[in-house]
Amino acid sequence: MVPVLDTRRTIDAVWKLESAKIIAGLARMVRDVGLAEELAQDALVAALEQWPTTGVPDNPGAWLTTIARRRAVDHIRRSQLLTRKQELLAHELDQQSDPEPDDMLRLMLISCHPVLPTEARAALTLRLLGGLTAEEIARAFLATGPTVTQRIATAKRTLAEQQVSFELPGEEELGARLSSVLEVIYLIFNEGYSATSGDDLMRPGLCQEALRLGRLLAVLAPREAEVHGLVALMEVQASRSAARTGPSGEPVLLHEQNRGRWDQLLIRRGFTAMLRARELGGPPGPYVLQAAIAVCHAQARTAEDTDWAQIAALYGALARLLPTPVVQLNRAVAVGMAHGPQAGFDLTDPLTGDPALRDYHLLPSVRGDLLARLGRPAEARLEFQRAAALTRNAAERTFLLGRAEALAAHVQAGPTLGSATRSFLADAGLDAATVRSYGQTLRRLGLALGEGLPLPELTASQVAEVFATAWGGAAARTWNRHRAAVRSFATWAELAGTADLLERRAEPRGSVPPLSPGGLDELCDRPGLALREQTLWRLLRESGAGVKAVLALNVEDLDLDDRTAGPGIGWRSGTARLLPRLLDGRTRGPLFLTDRRPGPARLATADLCPETGRARLSYERAEYLFKQASDGLTLRRLKPLKGSLNRQLSGAS
Amino acid sequence: MRYLMTTNAGSSTPDEKLFAEMGRFIEELTASGVLLATGGLGPATIRVSSSGDEITVTDGPFAEAKEAVAGFALVEVRSQEEAVELARRFRRIVGDGESRIQEVFTS
Repeated sequence: MVPVLDTRRTIDAVWKLESAKIIAGLARMVRDVGLAEELAQDALVAALEQWPTTGVPDNPGAWLTTIARRRAVDHIRRSQLLTRKQELLAHELDQQSDPEPDDMLRLMLISCHPVLPTEARAALTLRLLGGLTAEEIARAFLATGPTVTQRIATAKRTLAEQQVSFELPGEEELGARLSSVLEVIYLIFNEGYSATSGDDLMRPGLCQEALRLGRLLAVLAPREAEVHGLVALMEVQASRSAARTGPSGEPVLLHEQNRGRWDQLLIRRGFTAMLRARELGGPPGPYVLQAAIAVCHAQARTAEDTDWAQIAALYGALARLLPTPVVQLNRAVAVGMAHGPQAGFDLTDPLTGDPALRDYHLLPSVRGDLLARLGRPAEARLEFQRAAALTRNAAERTFLLGRAEALAAHVQAGPTLGSATRSFLADAGLDAATVRSYGQTLRRLGLALGEGLPLPELTASQVAEVFATAWGGAAARTWNRHRAAVRSFATWAELAGTADLLERRAEPRGSVPPLSPGGLDELCDRPGLALREQTLWRLLRESGAGVKAVLALNVEDLDLDDRTAGPGIGWRSGTARLLPRLLDGRTRGPLFLTDRRPGPARLATADLCPETGRARLSYERAEYLFKQASDGLTLRRLKPLKGSLNRQLSGAS
Repeated sequence: MRYLMTTNAGSSTPDEKLFAEMGRFIEELTASGVLLATGGLGPATIRVSSSGDEITVTDGPFAEAKEAVAGFALVEVRSQEEAVELARRFRRIVGDGESRIQEVFTS
C-alpha cells in the first residue's frame, strides 16, 4: 500500500500553502524581497531536516515563520553596519507580530514590478506567491532549471539595485501597478491554458496557480473592477478545460464543444466575479470587456444561441482600448460570425501585413476558416497548411493539417468556371442560337476571371466588375443579353446571388416607331406583291404576335371562323380576307411556305408541307423580303405598340 | 485537482470560539482560492434504494448521530498532500471526530 503521508511531500504541500505569507511578512520587516525569500528558504531547510524525525508540527506555518524570523534577527545582528534602525527591526522581529493584511498585496506588487521584464515577473511571482521551485517553473515554461534560477536571481538583484519602494502605492497609482500584476497573472493562466508549445494542450497546474492568485488579489484589492474582471475571465475560461480537448488531445473549437462538460461551478464563480466588477461601475477596462465576452459565450445554451452581434460589439470596444493585432484578429472572428465570413475576412486583410503576426499561426488558421466558409477551398487549404507549419503545438498541428486535408477533396473535385461553362452550354437544353450567344458572354467571363477559377469562388462582385469593364458602354439590349446569359448560367449552376448585382437596363422604346397603318397599306397595295407577304404582314400587324410564333403556325392550328390560332394569336378582317386564298385548300403543314422545294432530306418533316413538299418560310427569308419591300425596315416594326394593340382589341370586342 | 471532504457530526457541541476559528479558516481558504464550496448537512436522512425494478424510499436515521455526515467542503488543491494538510487544520479546529477526503474527478 502506498503510504498516505510522505513527509517530504507533506513538507512541500505545507510550503506551497505557507511560503507566500511567510515571505510577505518577512519582506515587510527586512525591506528586501530577495533576503526575505532566502530566510524563508532557510526555514524550509530546517523543516526538511527536522520534520522527518519529529513529525510535522501541529501548526507548520507558525513553526516555519518562527524559524525564519530567528534567522532574520541573526542576519541583521551579524551585519557589520548595525544601525539603530536595524536594531529596532531586530527587536521587532523577536516579537510575535501578526501578519498584516496588506503584506501579500505588497509582495504581489513587487514581484510584478514594472522594472522587471515580463518573464522575470512571471517567474518571480510563481516563486514567491505560488511557492514553486525553479525546476517546477522551468517545466511549466519549458525552460531549464538553471535558466529560471538565473532569471529569479537577476530579478531580485534588479529590485534591490533599483531600491524599489515597499510602500503600498496610493489610490491613483494602485490601478497602474495592479495592471502589471494582472498582466502577469493572465500570462501565467494563458501559459497553462493554451500552452504555446509542447505536446500537451494544457498545463492545468499553471491555470490553477493563476486562478488562485487572481482570487487572492480580488480579496486584497476588492475595489478594483479590473481585478474582478480578470478573475471572471479566468473562471469562465477554465470552466471549458474539460471540453476543449478531444479524445486524442486535439483542440475542440468553442462552437463545437460539448457544453454539458463545461464546469458550471466555475461558470457561476465567473458570473459572480463579473457582477462584482459591474457593481464597481466606471468605464469597462480590457479585462472586464474580455470577461463580458467570455460570459456571453457561457450564457449561450448552444453554439447557435451565441449572441455574436454582442460579442462583435464588445470586441469593437476592446479594440479601441487595446488595438493589438491579436484583439483585431479575434474581432474579425466575431464579426465573421455576426455579419458573415466576408466581413470578417475583410478585417483580417490589414493584419496580414502586420509584422507582429507574421509567425502567429492563428492568423492563417482564422483566415482559412473564413475562406472555407466563403467557398474558397483552395485558398483555405493553403492557409491551414501555413498555420500548421507555424504552430509549435503538436496537437494543434495535427488538427490544422486535418482541416487542410478535408479541403483537398473540394479543391480537386470542385467544378471550375471553365468546366461548368462547358457543361452548361452542352447540357442545359439550349438551342443553337442561344448556345452561340451565351457562349460569347461566358467566354468573356472565363477570360477575365480565369477558367480555372473554382466555381464556388465566383462572386457577384467579380461578375459585376467584368460586366462593367466589358459591356459598361454597350447598348442596353446588349447588356441585357449578357445579363440574361449569366443569370441563366447562375441558375443552372445553383450560384445564389451571382447575378443580383447586375441591374437590368431599360431598353429604349419608341425610338423605332411601328410602321404606321397607312404605311402598311401602301406596302400591301404595291402591284405584284405576293399573297404570302401580304398575309404575313397583315397577320403580324393585327395579331401583335412575335414573328417566330407566326412563322411557326401550321394550317391545322387555325380557326378561321374564330379568327384565332391557339392561345394568343388573333386577327381581324384584313387577314381574314386573305387567309382562305393563301391556304388554297391545304389542311395541314406550315402556314407560310417557301416558293421552292428544298433539297432532299434537308429539313425535319414538321417543317415540310405534306401536300406540296415545300418548306416552312424561314425568319431570315421573311425578314429579307420585308426589308426589300420597305427600304430596310425589320418585321418587328409591324408589331403595334402594346397600348395601341390593347385599344384595338378592346375596341374590337 | 479537486477533493471532497466530508465530516461526521462528532460528539462535542460547538462553542463561540469554534465558530470564530472556523469562520477565519473558511475566510482564509476562500480568499486563497482553495475552497470552492462548503456547506452543512441536516440530520434528517432519506434513503432511496433500488433493486431490480423496485425503488424503495426509507426515512433515516441509519447510523449513530456521530457517524452521520454533517458537512462538506470542496477544495481545489495542487496535491493530495495539500488536501490532507487542509483536513488536518480543519480537524484541529473542530476537535474529536472524523473527516474523509476523496478526489473528485473533473474530466
